[in-house]
Amino acid sequence: MLQPEVVQLRTEGRDEQQERRLSESEEGNNPFSFTPQIIRLHKDHELFEDGDIHRHMYLQDLYISEAEDKPALSVSEFACHISGCSAVFSALEEYEHHYNALHRHVCCSCRRSLPSARLLDIHIQEWHDSLFTILAQKQDMYQCLVEGCGQKFRTSKHRKDHLIRIHKYPPDFRFDKTKKERGRETKRKEQKDAAMEMVDDVCESEGVCEVMCNSPSDEPEGGESMETHEILYKLNMCKVLTTVHVYYTVLFSLRIPNTVCFGHGSVRGFGGRRGRRK
Amino acid sequence: MWRLNKVRHKAGRPGGSLEELRLKRRENERALRQARRDRQLVSKRLLLNEDEEQLDVSMDTAPGGHDIVSLLHKLQHSGTDKEAHLKALSKVLRDPSAQLTFIKHENSMHLLVGLLTGSNAQCRLQAVRCLHELSHSSHTNVAPACLPATPYLLTYLSGPSTKFTELCLYTLGNMCPDSDVVREKLLAQGIIPALASCIENQRHNLAVVEAAAFTLSQLLQARDAPEKIIPMVLKSTLPSHLLSVLTPDPQFGLAPAIECAWCLHYLICSTEDNKELLAQGALSQCSSLLVSLGGAVTEGNKEDGLELLIWPLLRCVGNLLSSCPVEDLNAHLSDAHLPASLCALVQAYLHTLPALARETVWVLNNLTAHSTEFCSALLTLNLVPGLIQLLPFSQGINTMILRILANIAHKKKEFCVKLMQLSLLSALCATLKMADQEMVIRSLDILFMMTVSSPVVAEEFVRQGGLSLLEVLQYNGAAEMRQRSTYLLEKHLLSYQQHITVDNMPDP
Repeated sequence: MLQPEVVQLRTEGRDEQQERRLSESEEGNNPFSFTPQIIRLHKDHELFEDGDIHRHMYLQDLYISEAEDKPALSVSEFACHISGCSAVFSALEEYEHHYNALHRHVCCSCRRSLPSARLLDIHIQEWHDSLFTILAQKQDMYQCLVEGCGQKFRTSKHRKDHLIRIHKYPPDFRFDKTKKERGRETKRKEQKDAAMEMVDDVCESEGVCEVMCNSPSDEPEGGESMETHEILYKLNMCKVLTTVHVYYTVLFSLRIPNTVCFGHGSVRGFGGRRGRRK
Repeated sequence: MWRLNKVRHKAGRPGGSLEELRLKRRENERALRQARRDRQLVSKRLLLNEDEEQLDVSMDTAPGGHDIVSLLHKLQHSGTDKEAHLKALSKVLRDPSAQLTFIKHENSMHLLVGLLTGSNAQCRLQAVRCLHELSHSSHTNVAPACLPATPYLLTYLSGPSTKFTELCLYTLGNMCPDSDVVREKLLAQGIIPALASCIENQRHNLAVVEAAAFTLSQLLQARDAPEKIIPMVLKSTLPSHLLSVLTPDPQFGLAPAIECAWCLHYLICSTEDNKELLAQGALSQCSSLLVSLGGAVTEGNKEDGLELLIWPLLRCVGNLLSSCPVEDLNAHLSDAHLPASLCALVQAYLHTLPALARETVWVLNNLTAHSTEFCSALLTLNLVPGLIQLLPFSQGINTMILRILANIAHKKKEFCVKLMQLSLLSALCATLKMADQEMVIRSLDILFMMTVSSPVVAEEFVRQGGLSLLEVLQYNGAAEMRQRSTYLLEKHLLSYQQHITVDNMPDP
């Protein structure tokens, strides 16, 4: 909105800081270009509009003291900057809530959004970990979803019954879907474009909802768990992230889905699988 | 003389309700905004008669046609009572259609000018009153019709009668905006030296000074002013006179100072290099005045209409700063209270006149852009926390605040550390989430400068969970955000990763 008309760059004697910055910019790929600028405004600049109107209202005898006339003071909105998410909020708390609900604990394989690190962990384990599938044939692997309960069950149906009977969960608890149900929903959405619409769905619903994907990773996790060197390779490829969950997953367990994706989820890019960014 | 308290009476007008007044006002405001966009923002002033309390638009306006003709006839032929006829004529001429009838009538102006220059002082007064009503017309072809009178009006500016001079001045001032031809003639007839000597000789008579400054302001707003009018004005004694009237007289009120300040604003913003005005002390005077006004406002002494004076002063200072080399700043701004006063003005007008707050913040940017001293002053006077608190407010306020903070961060490493101690980093963690791209990019710029300045800052930012914010931006659609956040992460912040363990991981 504001176009500086005069750029005066004067140095009052360089200090270390400016030296360092200068040498950085000489490297060539430094995108930072801020320099202090004096801004000169001509008579007809739009910034001057309100003041001019105020002045002329006075000239035309239409002056009203400020007590009687209260223009609205605008507040900046917040926006989710995750590529593909177009949510906008009027308060920071709303933004935080949105982010935590929809982008924090997202499974990178199927882009399902889970409400907590623990549930995400369980999800990855049960849906995308072939080791789990193998072990589950012989032992009780399905954990109760309620934190602190600690019980484990042989099948997800057993766990579901337990949740309903003991913990009074509803029968259609969203975070306890089985893969079979998922498959049915996948077919429904096959027509749509993968990445963008899914993310839009997630964001527009303003609540956590199931997000289906028909990307190749949805194929049954029948393969072997990854070799160690593959894991390390993928680790090096990724940016290192900061969520507790990630550290937990990487350092302390082998529950890494086929396509490694760290952290916040929806659009970590590893190639053309996802929709084009705007 | 304009009395602001006139307006309060309007609220209690028997004719119109408060709601009607508001509607009318809103309509007028809309028209003014459109006019400004068309670069045709023009206002005229009507000096009311002594017996008129306020401009009563609902008054019974006499039907134009017949009355004009018959009055003119009477004026031409009757020997006595010319004064009464003129008075009647002036009342009739308030009606727009009557004005048009008048100028179409042959010899009408000739007659009027004759009475204007005659031997009867009372007739002269009434004649100029008629001209004044004509000058107030919104039809642009009325003013050119009054041109025959202007040489006399200009001559009368050095006369002794206050009322008469005022009427002459406002008439001339009303005529200025209407056409190039009118202005050309007035300039050729010496309006600028006439105004200069008028103000000089009537310096004690503030009503006249106000009228003269108003007239000048009308000239200075013309589209061709920068080429044709302003150089002439700058060469005259007018600038120094304007400066001398700036400080408001407590008895008389703000009006003359307001007009002079607006004249100065038009002069300054239309001129690239203002070194002459600087040499005459414009910057030091305007800034001193701002300081005292800021002080008055802080003390709760918010006189009605104070902003009408503050507004042009801010613009003068803001634009003068662009002509003042940074080495000379101290010579001009000896009053070290300017930064504090500006911040006080922002707080005082933020909710009632956000546009004024925005222009104040613009001035602060210009003040801090190249001056380490003023940046330092903002820190030592503890003005920065107040600025940080303004970061939620949009429409140009928060983006300018970030510019100011960036100006500070740009100067010295120590300043960056101080900014960090004032919790700027957590404020940036919020602004990085804003929808406005400019806010995000500017925040990244500041973040970069602060991070580069000291490892302490970088560590603190990482500790506050800032890395995840930057990671989000890495995949954002806008290239400027992607490039900056990626660069910042890769080059500067990832080295701090090792210091983070699972235990001390905060929730962003």
